[in-house]
Amino acid sequence: MLGWYTRTVYDYLAVGAGVIVLMLVMHKVLRRFGVNREAATGYSLIVPWILGFLIWNLGPFMASFYLSLTEYNVLQAPTFIGFDNYIEMFTDDPNFWRVIRFTLLYSVINVPLGVVGALLTATLLNQDIRGMGTWRTIYYLPAVLPVAATALLWRWMFEGNGLINFFLKPILGLMDRDPPSWFTDASLALPAYIIMGLWGVFGANTVILLAGLKGIPRDLYDAATIDGAGRVSKYFNITIPMLSPTLFYVLIIGVIASLQTFTQAFFIDHSRRAGTFMNVYIYQQAFERFHMGYAAALGWVMLVIILLFTLLVFKSSPAWVYYEGERAA
Amino acid sequence: MATVEQIRPDTRAVPTIARPRGTHEAVLLAITYVLIAIGAAAVLVPFLWMVSTSLKGEDRLFIYPPEWIPNPIRWVNYREAWQALPFDRFLLNTMFMTVLAMLAEIFTASMVAYGFARFRFPWRNTLFILLLSTMMLPGILTLIPKFVMWRELDRIDTFTPMTVGAWFAWGPSYIFLLRQFFLGVPREIEEAAILDGANTFQIYWQIMLPLVKPALLAIGVLSFQGNWNNFEGPLIYLNTLEKYPMVLGLQFFGESLSREAPKYHYMMAMSTLMAAPILALFFFAQRYFIEGLTVGAVKG
Repeated sequence: MLGWYTRTVYDYLAVGAGVIVLMLVMHKVLRRFGVNREAATGYSLIVPWILGFLIWNLGPFMASFYLSLTEYNVLQAPTFIGFDNYIEMFTDDPNFWRVIRFTLLYSVINVPLGVVGALLTATLLNQDIRGMGTWRTIYYLPAVLPVAATALLWRWMFEGNGLINFFLKPILGLMDRDPPSWFTDASLALPAYIIMGLWGVFGANTVILLAGLKGIPRDLYDAATIDGAGRVSKYFNITIPMLSPTLFYVLIIGVIASLQTFTQAFFIDHSRRAGTFMNVYIYQQAFERFHMGYAAALGWVMLVIILLFTLLVFKSSPAWVYYEGERAA
Repeated sequence: MATVEQIRPDTRAVPTIARPRGTHEAVLLAITYVLIAIGAAAVLVPFLWMVSTSLKGEDRLFIYPPEWIPNPIRWVNYREAWQALPFDRFLLNTMFMTVLAMLAEIFTASMVAYGFARFRFPWRNTLFILLLSTMMLPGILTLIPKFVMWRELDRIDTFTPMTVGAWFAWGPSYIFLLRQFFLGVPREIEEAAILDGANTFQIYWQIMLPLVKPALLAIGVLSFQGNWNNFEGPLIYLNTLEKYPMVLGLQFFGESLSREAPKYHYMMAMSTLMAAPILALFFFAQRYFIEGLTVGAVKG
C-alpha cells in the first residue's frame, strides 16, 4: 500500500525536476540564439505555463475534436465516422434536448437572480451599519462549504419530510397540497437546484460586489449631494455605473461556472425525467457507457454554448458597462 | 515589509463622518438591519440544521416538529460514520494529494506570474490573453483526451493525475491574481537588488515572494480549498475504495450506503467534518479568502 504513495511521489518529483530543467534549457537556448537577457528570462519563467498550455489545453482540445468525429470505446482504436455524432445528438437523442433545456434554464434563472440578490445585499451592507465584518463573514460562509457538503445538506432539507417542507407547511396547507419530495419530483428538481445554487453562490457575489462598492470614491457622492441629487438618483447615476465593471465580472464568472455545474448532481439522486446538467450527461456518456466519441462531441457543443453566452455578455457590455477614463476628456 | 494596504491603497473607504439623523433616516436604517438579519438567517439556518442533524439518533431524524437541539446528543455518530468506511485512509489520501498539488501549484504559478509582470518579451500580451481565455475552456472538453493519455501512461487508479499536473501552473486565475500583486511592487526595489549583484532567482525568491506574501496566502487558501474539494479528478481516475479522498467517501455514503434508508445523521456528520478544516481556515485567514476573491473583480 505504501507503493501507491511512493509511485506518485516519484512521478511528482520527476515531472517537477523536468519542468525546472526545461526552464534552464530554455534560457540557455534563447541566449545562444541571441535573444536579449530580459526576454530570455521572461520566456523561461513562463515555461511551466507554456508546457501546461500545450499538454493540458491545446493538445487535448484538438484531440477531443478529432475524437468527436469518431466512435471510440477506449478499448478499440477510434473509428472515423465524420459528423455522425453531431447529427445523432440533434436528431436522434431525446435526452440531449432535455439536458440542454435543464442546463440552460438553470443558468438563465440562477445567474441573474444571484447577481441581483447579491447587489441588493451588498448595497444594504454598504450602509453605515454596525458589525459589517461579522455580517460579511456570515454571508460568505456558504461559499466556503465544500460543494459535496452543500449538496448533501440540501438533499436532506428538500426531502419529503425535510426542513423546507416544514417551513412551507402553512402555505402548502392553504393550497391543499401534500408536501412534495423536491428532487425526486420531475417538475421541482430544477427549482430545488436553483435555490441550492443561489444559497451557494450568493455570498461570494456579495463579497465581490461589496468590495466594488467600497472602491467608489466618496467625493462623487458629495458632489452629487451638492448638486441636489436624491438617494435614488445617486444610486442609479453613480453607484450602478461605477459598479458596472464589477457586475460584468460577476456575471461572466457566474455564467461560465453555472453552465458547468457538475459535482452537485453526484450527491443528489434527482428525478431522471427532469433531465440533468450537460457536464453530468457528458460524464455518463464517456465513463459509464464508454461512448467517448459521442461525449467529446457533446463537449464541443458545450464549448459553443459557453462561448455564445460569454459573447452575449461581452457584446452587450458597451451598453451598460462604464469604464472610468474611457469617456473622460 | 509591504502589506496589501501599501501596495493597493485605493480600496480603503474613507471613514464616515457621523451625521445627525432624522426619524426618516432612523426608519430606513431599521429596515436595513431587519433585511440584513433575514438574509443572515437564511444563510445560517441550513448550517445549524447540518450540525444539529449530525448529532441526532436515526429514530429522531424525521420527527415533527423538527428538533433543533437533539435529545440525546449523539457524539458517537461521528465515530460510527468514520468507521463505517475507511475514513482514516480517505483523510490521508486527501491530505497527500492536497499538499503535493498545492506546493507545485503555488511555486509554478508565482514564477509564471513574475515572468508576465516584470519581463518584456515579444508576444507577451498575446500569451497572457491566451492564458486568460483558457478559463473559458470547459474542463469536461479536455477531460476525455486527458483520461486517454493517463491510461496510455498506465496511471489510472493512481494519485498521479491529481497531483503532477500542478507543476504546469494550472489555474489561470492564480497567475492573474499574483501578477496583479507583482505589478504593484515598485521597480526600484529590484533595481537596487540587481545593483547588489543578485540573480533573477534570488530576486524572485528572496525579494519578490516575501513582498507578495498576502497574495501567496490568498492563492494558498484558494488552492487548498480547490484540492481538498476536488471531486471530478478522483471520480474519473480512481477505482480502488482505499485510494478515495474524503469527497468520494462522502459520495459513496450518499450513493451506496443510503439506497434503502438514507442515513442523513451520518452524512451530515461527515459533511461537517469535511467542512471543518476549511471553515477553520476561513475564520483565521478570512482576509486572504476575500483578497483572493475580489482582486480580479475590482479594477480588473
